[in-house]
Amino acid sequence: MFARLLFESFRRQVRRKAFAVLAITLGMTITTAMVSVATDIGDKLNQELRTGSANLLITPLADNLDVNIGGVDLKPANDGVFIHESDLIKIKKLFWKNNILGYAPFLSANQDFILSGRSLKAPLIGTYFAQPVPLETQNFVTGVRSVNGFWKVEGTWPSDNSTDALVGASLARRDGIHIGDELEINHSRLRISGILNTGAAEDEAIVAPLHFVQQAVNRPDAVSRVVVSALTKPEDAFARQNPAAMSPAVYERWSCSPYANSIADSISKVLPNVRVEQIRQIEQNQGNVLSRISGLMLLLTIASLLASALAVSAVMAATIMERRQEVGLMKSLGAGNAKVVSLFLTEAGILAIGGGVLGFVAGVILAHRIGQSVFGSSITVPPVVLAIVLFGALAITFLGSTGAIRKAMRFDPAVVLRGDA
Amino acid sequence: MNRVQLLLLMLLKAAWVRKDRSFTALLSITVVATMATVALSVYSDVGTKLNREFRRFGANVIVTARQGAFDVKELELIKTTVGSRGEVLPLAYAVAQGPSGAPVVVAGAELQPLRELNSWWSLIPPIGNIQRESPPPVVAYVGPRVAEVLSPQGQSFEIKFGEKSLRVYPAFVFHSGSEDDSRIYIDPEPFHALTGISPNVAQVRIEGSPAEIENQIRKLSAALPQAEVKPVLQITVAQAAILEKTRSVVLAASAVVVILIVLCMVATFTGSVLERRKDFAVMKALGASNGAVNLVFAGEAILISIVGAILGFIAGSAVAWWIGAANFGNGIPPRPELLFPVAFGSIILALIASSAPLKVLREIQPAGILRGE
Repeated sequence: MFARLLFESFRRQVRRKAFAVLAITLGMTITTAMVSVATDIGDKLNQELRTGSANLLITPLADNLDVNIGGVDLKPANDGVFIHESDLIKIKKLFWKNNILGYAPFLSANQDFILSGRSLKAPLIGTYFAQPVPLETQNFVTGVRSVNGFWKVEGTWPSDNSTDALVGASLARRDGIHIGDELEINHSRLRISGILNTGAAEDEAIVAPLHFVQQAVNRPDAVSRVVVSALTKPEDAFARQNPAAMSPAVYERWSCSPYANSIADSISKVLPNVRVEQIRQIEQNQGNVLSRISGLMLLLTIASLLASALAVSAVMAATIMERRQEVGLMKSLGAGNAKVVSLFLTEAGILAIGGGVLGFVAGVILAHRIGQSVFGSSITVPPVVLAIVLFGALAITFLGSTGAIRKAMRFDPAVVLRGDA
Repeated sequence: MNRVQLLLLMLLKAAWVRKDRSFTALLSITVVATMATVALSVYSDVGTKLNREFRRFGANVIVTARQGAFDVKELELIKTTVGSRGEVLPLAYAVAQGPSGAPVVVAGAELQPLRELNSWWSLIPPIGNIQRESPPPVVAYVGPRVAEVLSPQGQSFEIKFGEKSLRVYPAFVFHSGSEDDSRIYIDPEPFHALTGISPNVAQVRIEGSPAEIENQIRKLSAALPQAEVKPVLQITVAQAAILEKTRSVVLAASAVVVILIVLCMVATFTGSVLERRKDFAVMKALGASNGAVNLVFAGEAILISIVGAILGFIAGSAVAWWIGAANFGNGIPPRPELLFPVAFGSIILALIASSAPLKVLREIQPAGILRGE
């Protein structure tokens, strides 16, 4: 009997039920899309920023200090210690290998060049532009093009196995160096393929493939610093703790969290005699901005959820209030309050689950579209969102229905059936 | 009682008699207006809020003298051009010698503004006891590598430049993760007394959007043709990217929410009009023309949407203010200019939502509706 009543209710009131399902579907679409966007935006922006600039700096452990002003290394040429280029592949074999998006090694020295018969002195910087690094599982290409996205090149990027180079914009302007010019250095020739603009020390330098520079300065396998781009979690009080003072259990938890400090700690364990520091200007400030944006999206999500909950509750309440006569009829035929309530709540539950599933599917599609249009990649919707959506749909419809059912039950059946209530 | 008063009385009576139905319609309009106000307020203010966050990144423009050092006039010109929307920190560098004769970079800059500009530095007081010395050593901020090599116990040490020497005391060890970690910073007066070098670089922090920063760079370049003015691309490019992406996400998410809530509202409104088929039939049976019925229904929709839009605007401004205050520590101010578009949009939507079902009802005979068909 109960099942038949339920079935007939859906069969005879298609329009009313369709409105209710539509409202729940729309509300749950908002829930799915907003929760997915809010939970994924931090990762998406982090990924975006990491291709823009590196956030970790590796330098060799040395007894003496760097002597560098305006990007010009003023240390004597035979001074200093270096990192082995051949060791750098270990960075991509760490526990955090998936968080390491790329790295770029640098080797710099002041050099004398000859350009069209006249001599000039400028810093020569060697680096990877887009160097393939053989890994067992993937084809990994790294260099400044992937970790220093803010470097702007007019002309073409040199390839790593060529004798092409970039000239810094300030140096090019001052010394009249143009694209296509050839510079002579230690009996080797470098062809300028582009003009580099970084807003930093490289604007005053010649930037060439690392292996060319190693040969030119006679430092095979040597690099003087490495910048690493790693996906990290914004720093909190736990991240700032001193790992040396931690118990083994706390240290394990700390080292398994992708903080810049813990990734730096694991890099320094695989590369001998190096110092790994977070580039605080980037890491700290970007972490702060990302937290603000995630917070903003979370608050917008809460506001949207409240709005959709109100809208859905209003529709459910209206739907039930319109059915006062049905309630009156059922009660006059002898149905108890419990039976009437269970019928209405079962209907609400079916509507909630139907609307919730439809809303989840529509929300996933919308989140995917937003991800594609803004970031060029889809937004991941965690499966737990489906559970949240179904629970939310049931809670909102029950809440919206309960008050209206209670009110409808209070009317005298005779009055309702006369149409006076 | 004239016709307008009669119409108003009918509208108010209809709203009062069917309180539940009117309340549902009012609630859906209010929710739409609230979300529209929140979305528009947040979208229009998010850029300002994020640009303010980018102040923490420090200097975003570097001004370098092409030859020699800046004179007082030039430094003053930089400060005047930047004005109140930025800060200027003149800097001078020299290579001095540490106690062992090894080279060390010393920089002269006002220490307090330096600390404020580089707010991401982690400043740690040195380990060890402060020894009272006479004359007192010059206060210095030193990078961690300087502290390790020249002052492992936090003690004062001597630096030499040519024939002159200066005793410095590391008041703070700062960690920056840059070449600054190998540098010593002291105030400009002792620096000038030691080296005789005047500032040739100015680190400038300009507040504002990427376009405003670009504009200030143009002004600085025009005012100082003898200097090179460059944006710190690492900062300005990141700022532009974050702003663009965030505004796009907020816009897309807000559009989705507002459109879906509008659909929800239209469904509620349409439903509530369809439920009033008996009112419609009674009006028609009493001789009301289609125009008169439309006027009554449209009047109701307009009345409810005006009240809903005002309530929604107030609620939306409050929610937007709360979002700003909770997330950025600074509320998003109400924008009175949004009231008109929100109210206008609400009225149009309510009219569309109520006119569509009326068309359906007009095709049914009043007698049929009154019989319950």
